Amino acid sequence: MSKKQEMLSAAEIREKRLSVLYKILPVVSVLLLVALWLAASSSGTGFPSPAQVWDRTVQLFVKPVKKLTLIGHVLISLRRIGLALLFDWTFGIAFGVLIGWFPRAKALLGPLFNAFRAIPPLAWIPLITLWFGIGEFPKVLIVIFGSLASIVVNVQAGMSNVEKMYLDVGTVFNATPRQRLMKIAFPSALDAIFAGVRTSTSAAWMVVLAAEMLGANAGVGFLISRGMDSLDMPLVLTGMVAIGIVGAILAVVTQFAERMICPWTRRKKSY
Amino acid sequence: MNETTNVLTNEQRVKLVQDQKRKLTYQSAMLSIAGILGFLLLWEFLAISGVIEGNKLSDVLQVFRLFITKFVDKKPDGAILPVHIWSSLEVALCGFGLAVLIGIPLGWLMGWYRGFDSFMRPIFEIIRPIPPVSWIPLTIVWLGVGLQAKAFIVFFAAFVPCLINSYTGIRQTKEVLKNVGKTCGASYFTIFWKVGIPSSMTMTFAGIKVAIGNAWATLVAAEMLASSSGLGYMILMGRSYGRVDLVIMGILVIGILGVVISALINLLENLVLGWKKL
Amino acid sequence: MDEKKKVILRLENICQSYVVQNGVKDAVENVSFEIYDNEFLVILGPGHCGKTVLMNMIAGLEKPVGGRIFLDGEEIHGSDRRIGMVFQSMNLMPWRTVMGNVEFGLELAGVKKAERRAVAQKYIDLVGLQGFENSYPHELSGGMKQRVGIARAYTNNPQILLMDEPFGALDAQTRYAMEEEVLRIWGQEKRTIIFVTNNIEEAVFLADRIVLLSNCPATVKQIYDLNGLPKPRNMTDPEFLRIRSEVSANTDLAL
Repeated sequence: MSKKQEMLSAAEIREKRLSVLYKILPVVSVLLLVALWLAASSSGTGFPSPAQVWDRTVQLFVKPVKKLTLIGHVLISLRRIGLALLFDWTFGIAFGVLIGWFPRAKALLGPLFNAFRAIPPLAWIPLITLWFGIGEFPKVLIVIFGSLASIVVNVQAGMSNVEKMYLDVGTVFNATPRQRLMKIAFPSALDAIFAGVRTSTSAAWMVVLAAEMLGANAGVGFLISRGMDSLDMPLVLTGMVAIGIVGAILAVVTQFAERMICPWTRRKKSY
Repeated sequence: MNETTNVLTNEQRVKLVQDQKRKLTYQSAMLSIAGILGFLLLWEFLAISGVIEGNKLSDVLQVFRLFITKFVDKKPDGAILPVHIWSSLEVALCGFGLAVLIGIPLGWLMGWYRGFDSFMRPIFEIIRPIPPVSWIPLTIVWLGVGLQAKAFIVFFAAFVPCLINSYTGIRQTKEVLKNVGKTCGASYFTIFWKVGIPSSMTMTFAGIKVAIGNAWATLVAAEMLASSSGLGYMILMGRSYGRVDLVIMGILVIGILGVVISALINLLENLVLGWKKL
Repeated sequence: MDEKKKVILRLENICQSYVVQNGVKDAVENVSFEIYDNEFLVILGPGHCGKTVLMNMIAGLEKPVGGRIFLDGEEIHGSDRRIGMVFQSMNLMPWRTVMGNVEFGLELAGVKKAERRAVAQKYIDLVGLQGFENSYPHELSGGMKQRVGIARAYTNNPQILLMDEPFGALDAQTRYAMEEEVLRIWGQEKRTIIFVTNNIEEAVFLADRIVLLSNCPATVKQIYDLNGLPKPRNMTDPEFLRIRSEVSANTDLAL
């Protein structure tokens, strides 16, 4: 035994070994996942190998599907959720403030909104396509229907739970009702509003996929259903990976925007 | 105001406050009824007056009549309503139940044991950002168009919130509570069992609630994309036969069932988390 | 001496009670006293005896069930610009910087930006927070947060400052320091201060006069005039200790 090792207590040695183990384990698990994938693809169930998926992805940049490369399809999907979210964030925040801040508005419109919220977003798809066909507008509308509830719920919760102590400050300074809303209630609800922005973004991304899978000729959801119809499994997996990556990027971007706009919320995220 | 301020007796004061409260509840109940009634009237007006054509919107009574006849009538989608409902519930409960049974213990273990966490975390992080709906093509290839395939997709939708919430919940176990266990000489596993899990229950139930919502929503998608039964299939068929009344009725049934299931979960939470109430 | 004793605020038979599950709970019962211009009045009372309720009524945060409040000879209803408040829970808006919090009252009053910045800066300097103008409340310690609260209350130039157990949430060390601070600030910017506390030592250290309240429902038990004890006071001075034990013997125990 060297001198240095003697100086460490048994507990410290154990601690050190464990920390090495904790660094190795994630690598092992990822390798295991890859091995599982390889095993699945070589077993002849039609499951594509990583190499095939990679080839297909590269091919998608060179040989477009429906005149669009992978990037093109992603952009089409993003445009759809962008338009929908623009509406969500303007109308949804206004509506959430309305029913969160004014008790009468809540009494009048709250039950209707709750009924609307109870219906799963994707269930609207048949009705909306029945009304508006399968153009671009109905798709955006489906996304709006699917993601509006999450932002309204958050804004409403934020606006109706404004802490009394902040409103007290307003009372002492003789704030007008308008100032109470704009200078106290709204800013204090900003972090709840941002939670709504984040959930509505991820909801929108999920709904646009489903909408595209059910009938579209562009977008990442379309890529997947195209792959399914033509039994092109590598294409399906490429689509899934692209969806996962874009979804993760969207989550990071909204979180970053929140930090920029609300620097006072230091969220303790355990996940 | 007169010189001497009126001093109210206690009874008068109580009555005053209670009357005010009653008036407010009455007022808001009236407004709520007005809101819903107004919506229904607008719907009825639009449907009957022909502002929106009959093949785009059917009137309220027609939808209600269809709801009754659909209990015995198999047309046009090949099954009566209870069969569709049962088929949907079966899938939802299978997928959701599996997600709860696997996701929650996994979350607890990951949150409590660091080694397990560092092993499972990367796998979970790779799978998490992929929306459940996009698993549909793969599951069709693997499992065909049946209960298993649909349950698998629902499982994915419900699994993630179950795991995340139970993980976060057990991670937030108060250090003091753990120390109480330690000073009593309990093993790490005993503390996990007696302290960690109970204190994570609130979060875990929050996760279960999100999960049931996700499960129900994803189920509709799964049934529309890969099924030949269930409520989602029913409304999709209504769409392709141009039966707007069937679509609207289906949407309403889906919504109401969702509310009923959430209410049941809330009831269960109140039973399990009785100590939370003061 | 007599000309100095101008009454600025007068409470007349203030009562407050709340409807609870089974009947009525009285919090404040027939409280009447007068506050003189520029004096440091401490309201001392046990536990939850209704001191905060009394403050809230003066500040206009709640309406008394009975009784009247006169400011400068005229009755007031609800909040008044001439009365400022420092809250027990500090109530700083987490989304505003120190500067944003201090200038909040002026902003609501519609004062132009340059002007309110100047006023706010003056009071930030007064409470000794220069250099922290752009910090957010979560970056400050408890004592610093309450300094912001004091500066915020001062900026609107109120005649009367209500301080509702402002140092209740602070640790003992910081509390001593802040007590001295508040006397220093009061010395530089004379205002009428009504200071609420449940700490007898703090009361004797700060007060020109002490209004001692009884346990729930709060009534005025006794009023002590401490003007004979010169400031700054020494907490180990025999005279200080004598008054302290005299007040202490007369104070109800909180349940």
